[in-house]
Amino acid sequence: MKRTYLGEFEEIVLLTVAVLGSGAYGVAITDELDKQTGRSVSISAVHAALHRLQEKGMLVSQMGEATAERGGRRKRLFTVTVLGSRTLHDIRAVREQLWNSIAPQTLPAISL
Amino acid sequence: MNPKPPAPRQNAGSPPRWADRLLAWFCAPHLLEEVQGDLYERFTRRVALVGERSARRQYIWEVLGFIRPFALKRQRTVHQSDEYTSPISLHPAMIRNYLKIAWRNIAHNKTFSAINILGLALGMVCSLLIFLWIQDEFSVDAYHANGTRLYNVMERQLYDGKVVAAPSTPGLLSDELKKKFPEIEYAAGFSWEDQRTFTVGEKFNREKGRFAGADWFSMFTVPLLEGRPETALNAPANLAISRKLAENYFGSPQAAIGKSIRLDNQTDYQVTAVFENLPDNSSEKYDYLLSWQDFIRRNEWLKDWGSNAPRTFIQLHQARNGDLPDADRLEAKLKHFLKEVNPRMKESPFKIELFLQPFPEGYLYSNFKDGYQDGGRIEYVRLFGIVAVFILLIACINFMNLATARSVRRAREVGVRKVIGAVRSLLIGQFVGEALLLTFLALVLALGIVWLLLPVFNTLTEKHITFRYASPSFWATLLGMALLTGLIAGSYPALFLSSLNPIRVLKGSLRFGSGARLFRQGLVVFQFVLSMLLIIGTIVVYRQINFIQTKNLGYDRENLIYLSAEGNLVDKYSTFKQELLKSPGIQSMTYMDGTPTNTFGSTGNVQWPGKGPDVSIEFQFSTVDYDFTKTLKLNLKGRDFSKAYGLDSVSYLINETAARRIGYVDPIGKPLTLWGKQGTIIGLIEDYHMTSLHIPIEPLIIKLSPDPERKNIIIRTQPGQSREALASVETLWRQLNPKFPFSYKFADQEFQKLYRSEIVVGTLANYFAFLAIFISCLGLFGLAAFTAEQRTKEIGVRKVLGASVPSIVTLLSADFLKLVLIAILIASPLAWYAMNRWLADFAYKIDIEWWIFAGAGMLATVIALLTISFQSIKAALMDPVRSLRTE
Repeated sequence: MKRTYLGEFEEIVLLTVAVLGSGAYGVAITDELDKQTGRSVSISAVHAALHRLQEKGMLVSQMGEATAERGGRRKRLFTVTVLGSRTLHDIRAVREQLWNSIAPQTLPAISL
Repeated sequence: MNPKPPAPRQNAGSPPRWADRLLAWFCAPHLLEEVQGDLYERFTRRVALVGERSARRQYIWEVLGFIRPFALKRQRTVHQSDEYTSPISLHPAMIRNYLKIAWRNIAHNKTFSAINILGLALGMVCSLLIFLWIQDEFSVDAYHANGTRLYNVMERQLYDGKVVAAPSTPGLLSDELKKKFPEIEYAAGFSWEDQRTFTVGEKFNREKGRFAGADWFSMFTVPLLEGRPETALNAPANLAISRKLAENYFGSPQAAIGKSIRLDNQTDYQVTAVFENLPDNSSEKYDYLLSWQDFIRRNEWLKDWGSNAPRTFIQLHQARNGDLPDADRLEAKLKHFLKEVNPRMKESPFKIELFLQPFPEGYLYSNFKDGYQDGGRIEYVRLFGIVAVFILLIACINFMNLATARSVRRAREVGVRKVIGAVRSLLIGQFVGEALLLTFLALVLALGIVWLLLPVFNTLTEKHITFRYASPSFWATLLGMALLTGLIAGSYPALFLSSLNPIRVLKGSLRFGSGARLFRQGLVVFQFVLSMLLIIGTIVVYRQINFIQTKNLGYDRENLIYLSAEGNLVDKYSTFKQELLKSPGIQSMTYMDGTPTNTFGSTGNVQWPGKGPDVSIEFQFSTVDYDFTKTLKLNLKGRDFSKAYGLDSVSYLINETAARRIGYVDPIGKPLTLWGKQGTIIGLIEDYHMTSLHIPIEPLIIKLSPDPERKNIIIRTQPGQSREALASVETLWRQLNPKFPFSYKFADQEFQKLYRSEIVVGTLANYFAFLAIFISCLGLFGLAAFTAEQRTKEIGVRKVLGASVPSIVTLLSADFLKLVLIAILIASPLAWYAMNRWLADFAYKIDIEWWIFAGAGMLATVIALLTISFQSIKAALMDPVRSLRTE
């Protein structure tokens, strides 16, 4: 099968789901994204990404418990699938391989 | 489905409800709970953080953010498999399968498919032709850019206690109206058609044209190739000619402008404008126009407000706000205009008023009853429209019946499809789709046939209809017609087949309910009612036309020739007559204004002793030459005009109706005053039909005229010698009148023209009736096959038990004959009513006799019997061993 590619935002969302473990649902993911990357994303964009990842088979979901602050509505909790996990690992391997291939001092120095 | 979430608490900090509703409306139901839950959660947190107002604003913003494809999509995704879903109905593989099955069905049942496609195609041919014809009828005069502001000024008069509306108006009316009423932008008179001989150098020919007011080209959309609209007809010597004439006489429109043309070898006119040839869809045709000033100058009597002859058209100003002009208000103002302008009218007992008819309606609504608009050609348009729908309906019914008949074979397919999961809507879609496929095949066939038939159809209807390939409305109509036909035709079989119970079908115990049978029988009855209506209609129309053609009109129209008296024939008329009477083949000759089928004019200015002050009778009148009654072979009491009597200039001939209306029992020798000239009635003509048989015979006065100018010369030839007679007429013409082209008309052909529309209707009705019965019988044929197939086993058992072939044929046919008989019973009163209405337009008409119904019924029965018997006999002759072996 052809390898499924992930967009940058999708990759971040998928990673966030992994970070959150068993508590990954729309709001939590959005908040975590905000906290970790400092970028403010709209909730609908996160939902769209989750939906797409689910269609690609990177995520599965089931309905979780309801809370009062949600007006008694249930959450949809997301879990990374094996395919999702492998894709993330693949991406990481490719990145690391690329980092390792960079000769020292090739990148312009940056001072933080 | 998930349990419905409990309603959110309506506390102070709740998000806007409308945003919730909006979300619930656009968001896919399976996503709603989680999306809304997330939004609520964020909202609740924000209320604590930034306050309620700001939170609400952000809530709305976030809701709007969800207007994205994934949230709008209704389709359930794979993870939502907690509910049963139907397979995707329009999967390409399924469509391929449907098409394959449809094609196999068409190809496998060749007879059925052929009957179906042929029936539908023939129905479509009919309706397409009628559609094109109707479209053409509606396009007549519709091309004038100012059409909505153009009106025909008409006159309503009360004579004899009868209100009569007519388009003839006084000659000065157009100019006076324009002066008096500021609402009128343009006004133009328009004369009757006449023919004049054009001479340019050595070329001469007779041309058809009219006189028209100076505003003509400003009002009507007739493009000028040369010249200007304002000056085209503004002087007496002006002449506007068509492109055709310009090319004939001068080679091109450019060359024609400014040139002079001699008319009737008398007067020269200047070509001041060349107009584009008139399109076919114009109600009035003319190849040249002369100016109104010239018209009035030539006809002094037109200045008299009491004489009506030409027509008057006006164009109203555009209303200031861009609305249509208020014609009703203007109509109210000019209603009594004639009484104001003509003091004589005030005392006259004639009631007279003007009214307006929108110009574009003039063509289709030309009939008036009691002074008010009452149909016209529009009735034929409606009639044929109905016929088109009926014939298409008959074809659709056929399709339904045949498809239901075939359903025995297809029941198993339906059963299998249902068992493996097809739902009803899919099956309906499949069968309707098949019907559409067949309809489109039929449409292609029909288009081909129509394309081939169009020239014939055009000859028949005297039109120039073409396919408008470029017009989207043409294709839209075609597509619409095919879709509608397919849907109607496919609806019943689809509903019926999809309702079959798969278990029973597959077990082999297929029984059709009595409802289905009744429905099918109803369809057959309906079909035959329509066919019967058309057959009876055709017989009645045919008989009426035949009646018109053969009715004794009171004069003999065989062997009569008309010539027009012009040029030298006017001066040398007596020489012409003397010489001609000596020539072979000629019996007698006379002249008259008008023709025997079209008297020239009418007058109310007739007096006689004892006439009451309130009596107003409109007399037809004509002026003639000696030998009038002899040439027309009229029956006459008293004597004809004769040179032996010197005083015949004040002698009158009248017809029997005139004598009756005046009140003379024995009118010969009695006094009569016409236009103030007192004279004597010298002869009484037996009533003859002066116009078409639509109109009762009217009172007639005939007067001797000394001048043949612009009259019709009428020549009676020896029976069987018309060729010799024509040869001698032509020779004499060429001698005496070389500057004018020789042409003539036969009286019987002119007579036929009076009934042109009836004859066209009659011929079309013939074809349509034939088609209708043919299509109906196609259906019957299919149904008979169906019944025979249904009852195969029963027939087998009957035969084994000793039934004879005739008894089985009777058994099978009786059912259908019953239906045909019911149809005859229903159709007869309907047809009787419809045909009575049609005949009401004729003053002289046939009676609708009982044998017409009997004959039509017999015809339908025999045709139906022949159709059914083919199948019945086939079924009866079948070997019972074969049909019973499977049992």
